[in-house]
Parts: sequence; C-alpha cells; structure tokens
Amino acid sequence: MERVISVEHLTKSFGSIQAVKGISFHVHKGEIFGIIGPNGAGKTTTLEILEGIQKADGGVVDVLGLNPSRQLKQLNHRIGVQFQATSIQKKMKVKEALDLFSSFYEGASQKDELIKILGLEEKLNSHFNDLSGGWKQRVTLALATLHKPELLFLDEPSMGLDPHARREMWSMIRMLRDQGSTIVITTHYMEEAEKLCDRVAMIYGGELKAVDTPKELLNNNAAHYLGFESEQLTVDDLLIVNGVTRVEQEHHSFKVFSDDLQNTAYHIFSHCHERDIPIHNFKFEKGSLDDLFVQYLKKEHAE
Amino acid sequence: MNAVIKLAQLETKMFFRDRLSVFWTFLFPVVMIWLFGSMFGDNPMGNFTFAELFVPSWIGVNIVTTSFFTLGTVLAGYRETGVLRRYQSTPLASWKILAAHTVQGTVIFAISAVLLMVFGMLMYDLHIPEYIASTLLALLISILAFFPFALFITSLAKNTQSAAAISSLFLNLMLFLSGATFPLEMMPTVLQYVSKALPLYYVIELLRGTWNAGPITDYGMEVGILLTIGLVSVILASRFFRWSDK
Repeated sequence: MERVISVEHLTKSFGSIQAVKGISFHVHKGEIFGIIGPNGAGKTTTLEILEGIQKADGGVVDVLGLNPSRQLKQLNHRIGVQFQATSIQKKMKVKEALDLFSSFYEGASQKDELIKILGLEEKLNSHFNDLSGGWKQRVTLALATLHKPELLFLDEPSMGLDPHARREMWSMIRMLRDQGSTIVITTHYMEEAEKLCDRVAMIYGGELKAVDTPKELLNNNAAHYLGFESEQLTVDDLLIVNGVTRVEQEHHSFKVFSDDLQNTAYHIFSHCHERDIPIHNFKFEKGSLDDLFVQYLKKEHAE
Repeated sequence: MNAVIKLAQLETKMFFRDRLSVFWTFLFPVVMIWLFGSMFGDNPMGNFTFAELFVPSWIGVNIVTTSFFTLGTVLAGYRETGVLRRYQSTPLASWKILAAHTVQGTVIFAISAVLLMVFGMLMYDLHIPEYIASTLLALLISILAFFPFALFITSLAKNTQSAAAISSLFLNLMLFLSGATFPLEMMPTVLQYVSKALPLYYVIELLRGTWNAGPITDYGMEVGILLTIGLVSVILASRFFRWSDK
C-alpha cells in the first residue's frame, strides 16, 4: 500500500516536558486515519509536526515525500488543515471566505461542489460570527478542502457538535475520502474513532499504545468483559472471584474484566447459585474503544 | 497577487461593517476640528490660519489611528483568535497578509484625509496644499514610517486588549505632545524635547510645512528620520512576525 505519511521515532519537548516520546506509524493513501487519546496526550502536537507548523526535535517525518518543516510552502499547496477552535474574521460572509481562500491556490477550486455537498447555500450571506458551532465547522471544513487536497488534517472536527451534527460531519468526511483524499483526524471521542476511522493510533502520555483497525483493536482481550445485572451482588463479592482483574459498577449493572472470561463466568455462576442470588442479562461483551482505553490507562497507573 | 487584492478588498469591506470603527476613524477627527475651530477658528495663529495648522496635523493624527487601530489592533486580534493561524497552513505568505492590510489601511486613511480637507475647505476656507506633490509624497513617507512601526509595536502584545491599550497610550501621548492639538510653544522646554522623540512630531512638521510653506526638499531631516523609523520597523516587524501566540 502506498504510504502518504511515515513517522519514525518522532520526539518533541516543550521545555522540560516531553510531549511526544518516540512515536512511529504510517498512514496509507486513501484511508481515514485516527489519532486518539485523552486531552494532553500529544495528539495535536503530533498533528502540528505533520503539518509543518511545529518542528520535531528528533526522528524522521515524511509527508507526501516532503519534509514538513523544511518544505512547508510546497506542502501547503497539497494539504488542507482544519484547526481546533480557530476562527475566521467575524464579519466575513461565508461566500467571501470561500472566495478568498480559493484565491490562495493555483488550481481550480471545487467551491461550488463543496457548497452543494456541505449544504452551505442558505448560509452564504451570513457572517461567520452569526453561525452556530456546527455551521462554523462545516465552513472551516470547506475552507480546508477547496483545493482538493491530497491529504486532509482534521483536529477534533466534531468537538462541540450535537450527536446529529456529528453524524453529518462523519458522512461529509467519508465523502471527502471517497473523492480521493487521505484523511488524518484527531479525536477524543472513542465512538468517532470506532465508526469513522479505517485505522486508529492510540496515544497516551506521548507514547503510541497501539495502531490497528478499530475492529482488530477490539479483538484485543483487554477490552472484553462480562456484563450482567444483579441487585444483590457487590463489587467486593466479585473481586474475590477467580481471575477477576477489575469491576465497574453502575447502579445494578456490572462490567467484570478478567484474564479468562469463561473461567470467571463459571465461578460467578457457581457463586450465585450457591447463595441463591439471581443475575440477569448475562453477556460476553467485546467492549468499545472507550473500555480499551480505560484499560490502558488503568494499566499505566498500576505500573 | 490576486490573493493580496482580494484580501485588501475584503478587509476594507469588513471595516465598513463595523460602525464603531467607522465613527472613530472618519467622524471623530472632523468633530475635533470643529470643536477646536469653534474655540480658535477666527484667530490667526502666527503666520497661519487655524485650518492651515489643524487640518494637516489631524490628517497626521489619522495616520496614527489608522496604523495603530485599523491595522495593529486588528491584526493582534487575528493573532489571538486564530485567523492568522488558519492562513499559516495555506500557500498565502506572511508578507502578502501584511501587504493586503497596508493597502486597506492606506485606502481608509486616504478617505479620512479627503474628508478632513473638504471639511476644512467648506468651514474654514482652507486652501489645497501649496506644494501638492510634496504633500502627497510626505503622506506616503509618513505611512511607510507609521504602518510598520505600529504593526511591530502591537505585535508585542499578547492579546487584543493589551494591543488596544498600547495603541491608546501611543495615540494619546502623541496627540498631546506632538503639537497636533496644543502648540508646542505653549509647553515647558522639557516637554518640547519629549515631543521631538515622538515620530508624529516629524509627520506634523512635514505635513504643515508642505501644505503651507515650502516643498518637501526643505524638510530633509524630517524625511530622513521618518524613513529611518520605517526601515527599522519593517525589519523588526518581519523579524518578529508571529502567526499565533502558542
């Protein structure tokens, strides 16, 4: 598969704080590649190094065959960037912004197509400041994609959007991928990573924890658990059962994590059988990226 | 080049969408002239009339307001809110942004200068500049000195508020100590020296002089000082240009 981005042993420090600690990964042409992690994990720093805005301290970074910090000018013709929480001029109309940003690029602009795809017709004469968060995100997405960039960077594109607007944003991002752009996206919404991304890199504390498809990541046993409901059981009862590593309780429903789910299930059932405790809705769950993530964080704290 | 023209056009349009800045830039100086005019309008001041002295100086003051507020403070705001940062990942070069804003500032200043001159002609029988080519050249030199100067000074500010505070400080200092509002002869000797340290003093000398007394060639020192300020400011402004505060 053709590589659009390759990162080897990337490091970056701000003063005494090491924000990125030797990360390596590749992004393939035509995929939606997610970088996920909690706030302050090093996602935005990594993204900004790829965009050429920040300079790496160490390691090798190759983006579209260019060195981002040294060949920023050439790179800027070929990439599109949607920043986290930036603004355009408050009193600029949407159509003026599209027109202005089109004039920055040499080739033809796909302004009219984007107006259609993103449904911007009704807002063309609105001032940017009068738009809601969702519309602002659409406009800045349009500004980042006017020149049909080969590579599109989106930093938290669905931050602050309601669930409906978020789903719409996803389908627009998929559409841009289908047009032929490679897309790199950061997010701390695990659901977004699961549903939108073809492959995901998990970053925590400046280190890369895993890179894979969301499906493969979820096949990782660490996120699997037993889910059930019981009115009489307590967390302490469950923690002494064979093999149990962690228990989450929310009201009467439990998530039990274990090294050996089948064995633990047997022991839970016999424990409850002996004491005549009823349990309901017993399931073997695969878990979500959220669960996997929490699992990584807990492990980190334990060590 | 297309991008520079587009950006300059848009920024000019957006300037007029902000009623408050339109008032301060265009009407405030006219009101001030009218106010001072109603106090001293009928008395000749030395060899010159009220309007011959006050209109050129307020045109000079308007160069200061345009450069510090229309350019400097606005760009500081763009830096704070991420407008400049968004440009950073496009092929638009930083000098083109500064060029576009300089063009916009020049257009807005030119409108305000014409307004003041017409007001002076209608109300106080002001004549057009005696050495009009010299006056135009003097205006150009003053712009070249003040725009980069203000852009550099305001770029040191962390956010819009402090940029506006710095701008107000400079404006007020120069307004009262450069001979624009109060004749320098009325001031203590110490303040007269202070005023000569302020760039607006030379702008006003140059504008009043070419408007009433002699061609720009008579004002070599003023021209030299202003061009030096301009050159040093361009170097400093481009050396310390920042896309964002991060």
